[in-house]
Amino acid sequence: MAVPGHRLDRMFNPEVVAVVGDKGPMYMWLQNNMPFKEKGGRLYSVQLDEKEIPGIEALGIQNFRSMADIPEPIDYAVVAVPRQVSPYVLKDLIANGANGAGFFTSGFAETGEELGIKLQDQLTTMAREANFNLVGPNCMGLYLPKSGVRFNADAPVTDAGKIGFLSQSGTHGIMFSLVSAANGLYVSRCASFGNAVVLDVSDYLEYLMLDDETEIIGMYVEGVKNGRRFFEVLREACKRKPVIVWKGGQTEAGARATMSHTGSLAAPQAVWDGMMRQCGAITTNNLDETIDTMKLLLNSKRPKGNGMALMAQTGGQSVSITDAFAKSGLRVPRFSDKTYAELGEFFNIVGGSYQNPLDMAGTIQGSMDTLDRILRILDADPNIDAMAMELSAMFAARQWKKVPDSLDKTIDTLAAHQKRSQKPFLVILHPAHEAEYVASIAPKFHAKGIPLFQSFERAAAAMQRVLAYENR
Amino acid sequence: MSFETVLAQARAEGRTLLNEVEAKSLLKEAGVSVANTTLAKNRDEAQAQAEAAGYPVVLKVVSPDIAHKSDVGGVKLNLSDKDAVGVAFDEILASSKKAVPGANILGVAVQHMAPQGTEVIVGMTTDPQFGPVMMFGLGGIMVEVLKDVSFRLVPLADKDADQMINEIKGRPVLAGVRGQPPADIAALKQTILKVSAFVEKHPEVRELDLNPVFAYPDGALAVDARIVISES
Repeated sequence: MAVPGHRLDRMFNPEVVAVVGDKGPMYMWLQNNMPFKEKGGRLYSVQLDEKEIPGIEALGIQNFRSMADIPEPIDYAVVAVPRQVSPYVLKDLIANGANGAGFFTSGFAETGEELGIKLQDQLTTMAREANFNLVGPNCMGLYLPKSGVRFNADAPVTDAGKIGFLSQSGTHGIMFSLVSAANGLYVSRCASFGNAVVLDVSDYLEYLMLDDETEIIGMYVEGVKNGRRFFEVLREACKRKPVIVWKGGQTEAGARATMSHTGSLAAPQAVWDGMMRQCGAITTNNLDETIDTMKLLLNSKRPKGNGMALMAQTGGQSVSITDAFAKSGLRVPRFSDKTYAELGEFFNIVGGSYQNPLDMAGTIQGSMDTLDRILRILDADPNIDAMAMELSAMFAARQWKKVPDSLDKTIDTLAAHQKRSQKPFLVILHPAHEAEYVASIAPKFHAKGIPLFQSFERAAAAMQRVLAYENR
Repeated sequence: MSFETVLAQARAEGRTLLNEVEAKSLLKEAGVSVANTTLAKNRDEAQAQAEAAGYPVVLKVVSPDIAHKSDVGGVKLNLSDKDAVGVAFDEILASSKKAVPGANILGVAVQHMAPQGTEVIVGMTTDPQFGPVMMFGLGGIMVEVLKDVSFRLVPLADKDADQMINEIKGRPVLAGVRGQPPADIAALKQTILKVSAFVEKHPEVRELDLNPVFAYPDGALAVDARIVISES
């Protein structure tokens, strides 16, 4: 149990999972949750359609025609039944003593039609009265990589997760889970909560805040139900761990008359932005910014200041990397005299430069000792708070492919520096003309915990966000 | 005048807008630096109060039926003696009555005309989602055109008031431009924090404007104030 006594604890750490109403030929929800069974969890099916039962049993899963026959309380259920049936399923779940359920079923208030609204109200009332943890409806529910409970068959099963993620949108929840994994970052617990009629983002956020396995929290929200509670929970959560808020959509101005100048100026977005800063949350605008920021938060040391050492391979890139970081509000200071003196002992200034930014390929010439020497000198420079280094697929991919060991040695040198140094360090490797190859070697960087970015701009924006967070 | 008294009276009269004299007296009681303002019910009172306030003075009509005082000729600035005050009083009453026939005119607010400072706005509104919210910004064109304002939810911590002041784009103006002395940031911060504490204590306050507040090299002074209360 990760947060003993919390009302969501059983469903977030399930031992008994039921899938209600899954259908062939895909049996998507049972297939998604097979890892749960393989890890020793008790996975049951509830299906009374005789046509579907042989297919379910062929998967090796025990099916019950009635939920009342399940011999033990369910911790978490996935409900994928037609909307008209959903109140009956909820009644059965409550009778079973189930802790919670994700209602994949849609067609409720989001349709705007009368029947949908009525059914949603019915579910809401029933769940509230029974203090039942209804996730959704109209959502993908929970993704618990450690338990093997999943909302997508490609989502990894892993104990390595440190990121708690919450999403009002099912797509963004799945997309985050897959793309973060592709970046070597893993989810601890994720909830896609759709219409949020009973549990809202604040309820899940409170759990993730208390959950020791979750080191950082991210969320995609379009709006919140109880603004005041959200503010209070978010403020508390931000005191305990970094929280990244990706806000989607435009908040609609509530219909209200105002008699003050202040009221007429209080645009919903402006109030939201003020609240975010007040809480100390990190705000992002899209998936990539969200993952980029997490990459630095999880894998790099925290910056103490905004003085960057920028290390490019060539002259043109040394200008571009400087533009990107300067435009993001970071400084590219002069090195200390000691650094200049030390670099001057060996730096090749014909076709190179040891001003900040460095133009260094001509000096390194493939020598890991030289790269290591430069890293050590910059690390010791008191003017420097953080270091960013370009690797060039355009120049190096041919050599790395021919002599894979040369890439491994480069990565080892960078990883050793990162481990040794107390300053944030990141690498930018633009895919250039080698997108496929670069994608294939990215996991080598991830495995060593080196924050890897595809562009100067994305790296700079992530560094700026982490710095703002540190100075909050 | 306690908050409860003013509230009860406004509600008894079916008003949600407190008049300027009421608003200022409540804010003064809450420790906010506001221009001392008194209500004169007749010409003689206006002249006596002007003498006490010290010239130059400003006269403004006080009426629950008149929201935009300048539009009805209800504001007279820079009055420098007793006679000018008497004439201004008569003119304000005449033009207000003409512009809004049947208006219930309580009298005229009399205040010493404060020396010009850097104009800022401090306000509060009730957000439909998040409840009471404080606002800070530079006054005049900066707020009208550029909407250069910052928000924080009540209650405010010390740090929140600092950040509200520091995050507006026009922040350098407060540091003093073109040889002007810097504004008293600590006094502005106190204004924000005291208003925050006031609205936190009185949830009946729905909206509040201190517009403008004059920021001086030493101190800050709210020269106009508006408070809107909830209906029940």
